[in-house]
Amino acid sequence: MDALLQQLERFSEVLSVSRTNHVSTWGPETVRRALQWARYLRQVYRRFGSHGRIRAALERRLRIHWGPEGPKSGLTSFRALGRGDVLLSLNLLQNRALGDAAGRALLQQLFPGAGTGDADAEALQTRLVRLARRRAALLLLRETDCFRGGSPGLLEDPVLLTQAQLLLGRLQEAGETETGDPSGWLGRLWTRAPRVHFLQVMAVALLQPLEELGPSGPKSLGEEIHVLVRWLLEQSEVLAAFCRLPAGLLTSIAERHPALSRAYLVLLTDWGQKLHYDLQEGAWVSADSQDVPWEELLRRFQSLSQAPPPLKDEVLTLLESCKARDGNFEVAGLSVWTDLLLDLPSSASKLCLGGDKFEVPA
Amino acid sequence: MERFPTIGQLLAKTCSNPFVLAYDESQKFLIQCLCCLINKEPQNSGDSKLNSWIRGLLSHILSAFRFNIKEFDLFTQGLGYEPVDYCPALLKNMVLSLVSKLRESHLNGFNTRRRMAPERVASLSQVCIPLVTLPDFEPLVEALLIYHGHEPQEVLCPAFFKAVNEAFLLKKISLPTSAVVSLWLRHLPSLEKAVLHLFTKLISSERNCLRRIECFIKDSLLPQAACHPAIFRVVDEMFRFALMETDGALEVLAAVQVFTRCFVEALEKENKQLKFALKTYFPHISPSLTAVLLQHPRDTPQGCHHQLLQHVSLMLRKAVEDQACGSCRDPFESWFLFIHFGGWADLAAEHLLRSAVEAPAAAEAPVAALLWLLAFYYRPLDSHQQRAQTMVEMEAVLSRLRFLTLSRSSPISAEELRAAAGEDSHEDPMQPVCGRLIRHLLLNFLLWVPAGHAAAHDTITLMACTDEISHEITGFLDQTLYRWDHLCTEAPRPAKLARELLQELRARV
Repeated sequence: MDALLQQLERFSEVLSVSRTNHVSTWGPETVRRALQWARYLRQVYRRFGSHGRIRAALERRLRIHWGPEGPKSGLTSFRALGRGDVLLSLNLLQNRALGDAAGRALLQQLFPGAGTGDADAEALQTRLVRLARRRAALLLLRETDCFRGGSPGLLEDPVLLTQAQLLLGRLQEAGETETGDPSGWLGRLWTRAPRVHFLQVMAVALLQPLEELGPSGPKSLGEEIHVLVRWLLEQSEVLAAFCRLPAGLLTSIAERHPALSRAYLVLLTDWGQKLHYDLQEGAWVSADSQDVPWEELLRRFQSLSQAPPPLKDEVLTLLESCKARDGNFEVAGLSVWTDLLLDLPSSASKLCLGGDKFEVPA
Repeated sequence: MERFPTIGQLLAKTCSNPFVLAYDESQKFLIQCLCCLINKEPQNSGDSKLNSWIRGLLSHILSAFRFNIKEFDLFTQGLGYEPVDYCPALLKNMVLSLVSKLRESHLNGFNTRRRMAPERVASLSQVCIPLVTLPDFEPLVEALLIYHGHEPQEVLCPAFFKAVNEAFLLKKISLPTSAVVSLWLRHLPSLEKAVLHLFTKLISSERNCLRRIECFIKDSLLPQAACHPAIFRVVDEMFRFALMETDGALEVLAAVQVFTRCFVEALEKENKQLKFALKTYFPHISPSLTAVLLQHPRDTPQGCHHQLLQHVSLMLRKAVEDQACGSCRDPFESWFLFIHFGGWADLAAEHLLRSAVEAPAAAEAPVAALLWLLAFYYRPLDSHQQRAQTMVEMEAVLSRLRFLTLSRSSPISAEELRAAAGEDSHEDPMQPVCGRLIRHLLLNFLLWVPAGHAAAHDTITLMACTDEISHEITGFLDQTLYRWDHLCTEAPRPAKLARELLQELRARV
């Protein structure tokens, strides 16, 4: 077992090195050995895939290498073992620093030509070729009109959906070993990736169905999604930016995740309180141009008030209690909450009194 | 490469063309070509440069995909994923999103905002042409085939239909029956190609094995598709041409009969609310005649078969003889319909023989009806007189055979049988079909009459003097066994004998 773990680590190093200039020191023998290792580890993957304990042990060892910053290059998970050979081959092929002799040896190993009975090499070749074909397919699909021009809705965009699935996949792997604390690498992702994009992916991820039918039976995504929610709630900066996503999207998310809906409503209250009424303009404005404007606030509350109960009731209760706190005016212009309630569609402002579920902190 | 330097350019251009790379196995071929060009022992810098150029091309083929959306790349890199990890998932999601868009567009008739523009659908079908055999694309191909736009003309490009049809015929893609039917309904050349493909398979397979023919026919999905009258008419037309071109070859006849059987089976299984009238399938024939012929003898008890056959004969005779005097349609149509359900003729021959030999005191009229049926089946173009003549000849043969079985102490010999059949005295060698009819009567005699069993082997040996006749007899035995199976006829001794004879004949070929 120890020997296996060691080989795992060494191969992981090899994999990371294969992208750097160090490969210029590699000779044909090194290349052959590296590919053999990859093949061996793939067999390990196939044999122990269903073996819970061994798989967990291997995952743990690989997780250590993630470091606080998240998965780096190299072997990142148990599943990656199955793809190690393809990853290695592609890294080496793309690496210009690989010497001539080593390069020739690589090509000989990968594409031995017809007639040789090496089933493993043929299988690897088939997988590489299939990958090339799929990539070509993606390029072609991208060129068709269906994806260019005319932005699909966020929830329908397959690119975002794929990224959300990948994110949840990583979270699941982190969750499988108890040492996983995703806040570190999620934070890193937040700083590196473009922000709006990251938030959109998170939104899509939060809306994924909790039970997904994967190839190996129903997969429950509940855990990963909760981890994501927790992290989001802890990071106030991220949360503030997250709640600036389109109103409809946030309403759907609030419906699904009560914890997030509470945080969202708190934020909305804060934003509302920053607005003051400008007599000259006859509208609610805020001092800071960075703040959320009145129209935006109204749109969000309108969207929320069209959600099914209990969310709808929570929102209306909140608005009523804020209005009461401000003095319970019925005239416009005195309290932002009154105005909001007045501008909501009349069918929505019928409140069913079921007791205050929400208390505004004084 | 030295002699044709432009090959280098060609290769480079091919490797960067996603349309080429997406097609079937072209990636493999390209890679093999490039690997052949590699210099195993580079002598000079020129050789090494060539090698590294080839390596570059190979790397380009295998890994030159960048989605070119910066956010996407950054995000996936941040998560530590490589293209090999996410390509399959991304492709699957894109395909599913397209499929659901097509479905929505299909269902939302009047909501123009949600509809996909016809140009988009057309360009999508073009993109799919090289990718038809990629398993990830099957849902998209199916969705495109079932998609009905709101324009009167066809929106998908014909090359797409062609590609899908070819992939289907070569079994490189698996589609549900509804999608294949939709393909054939929308693109006639594909249907024709499918039928020709079936014909090729039937021709090149072993002769005289109806079970195998049935397998091929069922496999091709044509019987199920033919539940749609338009498809049935096209297929029927092609069978008709084949029959005419081959002058009524027995193999084509057998194929028509097996196809019709599979078709009727498929028709019964269809639970469609819309059941097409018989006239849409057989427009040239009166529906009552078609209905009579479609009846399955299995549904009636054996004792009533005789009446059934009589009824069939009467109706057919009426149709044919009414047409002959005055109407412009020739008896060919009635005959063509009749041969679809060839089981009737075989059943008639069986009954004729058995009743002639076992119960000679039966009434004359039913026998005449059966005689007419058989004479019509084998010689449809005869005039009234010629047919009457044939019937008389048949009756003579039957009475001779009957005579042979009456009060005999010694077993019948093969020569006697042959003499009874009148084969020796071939007055008119230009009547091969009549000979076929007589041979079938004789064969029925051998199978059904216990006295004939002993001489069976020898008689067959005597009859099968040419290859042609040998094949004919093999075909007859195979067809008889096949028919007994499907009718669930209980006839253990004849069946056993038939199997033995068949084996013997097949061994001789």
